[in-house]
Amino acid sequence: MKLSRRHFLAWAGLGALGAVACEGFGIREGELNIQSPVSLPEDLVRGKDNWYASLCRNCPSCEGILVRVMEGRAKKVQGNPLYPTNQGRSHARCEAGVQAIYHPDRVPGAMRRGGNRGSGQFDPIGWEPEGMETLVRQLTDRASRGVLLTKPNRGHLGMLTSRFASAVGIEHMNYEAVDNNVYRSAVKNVYGQDVLPDFDIENANIVLSFGADFLSTWISPTRWNRGYGEFRQGEERRERGSLYHVDSRFSMTAANADKWIPVQPGWEGYLALSIAHVIVQENLQAPGIDVDAQLGGDAGRLLLANFRPENILHQVGITPEIAGGDPAEFIRKLARDFATHGPSIAIAGGSAGAHSNGLFNVEAATFLNWLVGSVGAKGGVRLNPAAPWDGVPASAQGASLDDMADLTDRIRSGDVRLLMLHNVDPVHGLPASIDLQDAIVSAQDLYVISFSPFIDDTSALADLILPDRVYLEDWGDDIPDPAPGYQVAGFQQPVVNPLWDLDPRSFPDVLLTAADELGSDEQLLPWSNYEAMLRESANALFSENRGSIQAATEGEFWTALLRRGGWWDESSTGPNASGPRAGLLRSIVDSASGPTFAGYGGEGTLYLAPFSHNTLQDGDLAHLPWLQAAPDPLTTVTWQTWIELNDITANKYGLREGDIVRVESSQGSIRAVAYLNPATPPEVVGVPFGGGRRHGSPWATDRPSTESSNVLDILEPTRVAGPQTLAWAGTRVRISHTGESVNVSKLEGDYRAVEVGLSSAEEIIKTIAPGNY
Amino acid sequence: MIPLMVAGGIFTVIIGFVLVVLFISWFSNPPFGLGNASAQPVAFPHTVHVEQNNIQCEFCHRNVTKGDAATVPAVEQCLFCHKDISGRDSDAQTEIAKVQQYFADEQPIDWERVHRVPDHVRFVHEAHIRFFTSDMGAEGVAGKRYGINGEEITRAYGITETCSICHGDVGSMEEVQPKDGQSLKMGTCLDCHRVNNVPTDCTICHK
Repeated sequence: MKLSRRHFLAWAGLGALGAVACEGFGIREGELNIQSPVSLPEDLVRGKDNWYASLCRNCPSCEGILVRVMEGRAKKVQGNPLYPTNQGRSHARCEAGVQAIYHPDRVPGAMRRGGNRGSGQFDPIGWEPEGMETLVRQLTDRASRGVLLTKPNRGHLGMLTSRFASAVGIEHMNYEAVDNNVYRSAVKNVYGQDVLPDFDIENANIVLSFGADFLSTWISPTRWNRGYGEFRQGEERRERGSLYHVDSRFSMTAANADKWIPVQPGWEGYLALSIAHVIVQENLQAPGIDVDAQLGGDAGRLLLANFRPENILHQVGITPEIAGGDPAEFIRKLARDFATHGPSIAIAGGSAGAHSNGLFNVEAATFLNWLVGSVGAKGGVRLNPAAPWDGVPASAQGASLDDMADLTDRIRSGDVRLLMLHNVDPVHGLPASIDLQDAIVSAQDLYVISFSPFIDDTSALADLILPDRVYLEDWGDDIPDPAPGYQVAGFQQPVVNPLWDLDPRSFPDVLLTAADELGSDEQLLPWSNYEAMLRESANALFSENRGSIQAATEGEFWTALLRRGGWWDESSTGPNASGPRAGLLRSIVDSASGPTFAGYGGEGTLYLAPFSHNTLQDGDLAHLPWLQAAPDPLTTVTWQTWIELNDITANKYGLREGDIVRVESSQGSIRAVAYLNPATPPEVVGVPFGGGRRHGSPWATDRPSTESSNVLDILEPTRVAGPQTLAWAGTRVRISHTGESVNVSKLEGDYRAVEVGLSSAEEIIKTIAPGNY
Repeated sequence: MIPLMVAGGIFTVIIGFVLVVLFISWFSNPPFGLGNASAQPVAFPHTVHVEQNNIQCEFCHRNVTKGDAATVPAVEQCLFCHKDISGRDSDAQTEIAKVQQYFADEQPIDWERVHRVPDHVRFVHEAHIRFFTSDMGAEGVAGKRYGINGEEITRAYGITETCSICHGDVGSMEEVQPKDGQSLKMGTCLDCHRVNNVPTDCTICHK
């Protein structure tokens, strides 16, 4: 057909109209604006980025970070290459720090409760006069019957909170939901140390880990991941190191191990003593280890011989399939390798310490380091020095479950009348059987003050919220625990100011102001603000004239300190290893016991293996969407609470992936999404901590209880003998299908199976197609 | 086979679309060189500040001699003077009060952009200022240089004069607009680079 002039004009007009319409999709209004900032800081240059060294507080290990700041806004966080612990590496949790600053659900300013307790209704008030006046008044009236509950803070914040408590007469308690109290007790008993030791993984040949998921969440994973990289692929190594991991759950560390040894939950200590027995029996212990002094002579040797491999196989559950042959011989070979192919390190903690007999498990495994001469040796365990300042804690320990249960009782009975909370959420973190929430709600005359910058399950019950600054807006410091074998003091500086519409105040500054207004002892708290306190300590370091910073003046020292993110002195190392105290091994052997499980048991029950979520930890970071969306490294699940099941177990209960599973203990039930994993032992189910928040940001709370649950709710309140902390791996459960199903929010399995590799040896490299696993 | 009329129609629609987009881009958006900028949130008179009070460009545009962007001043910087200076007449007083209010409210001022190069272009003010203000004939400096429209420059310029090469005589503008009739398109950049014997590699300007 011919294109007539009429048609040409019609089409051209249509095209022109389209183009005009498309202009509507063009540059948005305001896109071409150029903004005059309000203030004129000296270091603010438009279009230029500044990098500030500071510390990450999303990680308990407080990694050294660098923050990229453009025109007063933090854009990116990455590891500080100078910082001795993480050496430039960083965790995903560090990078999510910028989301905390610009989070839409931050508490904007001082608020008081507007409705019934727990209603979530708060009315804004100013800091001055009402906020601070209320704080001071409540302290005046109630401090003698009050409790200040904080995280186990190291460094100057630990010292400040402790001194504040003394100055105003309030009781101070540390709390963390998933603590390392058992490991700390074992370090104290076995090494005689108050601070945690470091592991020289990069120079080790064998690492034998008992329950410690040190490549994912346990204590200082970023540091040890770096060491692990060298351990496997270090250019200067003669041979690749070997990793053995003993754990009843298939964790990240298990997945990376040369040999994962899935033992019966809670029997790790028996395996450790069996290894010790083989080493002693075959006389493979390090020179200088007096076995008779350790065991108390032949009687002790006989006791230890009770743990010879053949005797413990049944309890520990090492089968020929797991061992790849004779299980007893497997243990013997492992013991010989550990003793003779050193340097070797035994690492113990995590789930191994989270049973009623957890302290025995961890001590037995930790003692292996003495036995093979690894303590203080290259490629072994590095003991750490004390803090560089007197009176400043280099480590801190959380309250035991007994302490928290006692606190709950005191709140319920009206004995405690003031509860002050800083960055802790015990209502979410304590087992539901403790029922702290009910105690707070039903207490007759209780005043609750929260300093949290975000609403959480405990802050939602507060009478007054005085929001702290988030850590990228505030001063601080940290003494790493563990340090890298020498003295380190990390410094945190405010890299940005809070947004104009937020009015938070630095928690330590608020404490200092309140103490001043109360007329507290100036000897205890002589500082006008927290920065002054830190600066005084920096000046003390300057006057010692040692370590990583050489400066002519205090000011120069302070600037260099902030620029580097801290100070360290490689010549101030930990104590020399003097050998284990006499009778130590005998005392561990005498304390040997198996785990006890309260509640359900017998046919149809499964061991519940809770574990720290890789990014959400125990749930205190659940409000950060990046961390919710970060795939779990093993399952790739995001946003949901899943339950890891073996295929055989799933078949038995008629479960498929995505089915909603009711997980029930004698304490209650939760629901979780089924994730089938052939690596999960058939008698074990794994559920991550971190889900099930009930109050606060929608990112933490907006999923139904079928997809987000708090596994802490159903844990039996069993204590670990000794530290009396929660034995969080000491629960057995029953599972059943609720009849509901959802799609699992995961990345894995979304791609078609593709075999790669040209040779048959490379055919093991495959991906798995949906429905083909 | 697509009928000829449909094919011709599609072709015509595409041509029409492209022509109109080009037309709109060329004439309606001041950032691309021509056209007037929208009204500013504060009627800032460069005449008063530059012509009458002799304030140098770089006093307010602090980064122009240091980095890529010339930058607009912080509100706090306006208050250096306008804490005390409240204006001679009611119009000035009204506008100065606005600035003081922005500062009191801790609010930034959203200026309408007058000059802009596309996002894929990297324009470094500092390098251009340095080129035109360096001494003529000094070691490593060419003996001749030319302005943006090929006009010969026979002496080292001051910073204000250098700014005016591209931006025009802003000091005499009551309301800042692009230099009259001045294109700031790629050809303009290339012409100036060529005549001044400056490299014209793509990556010199393009990100």
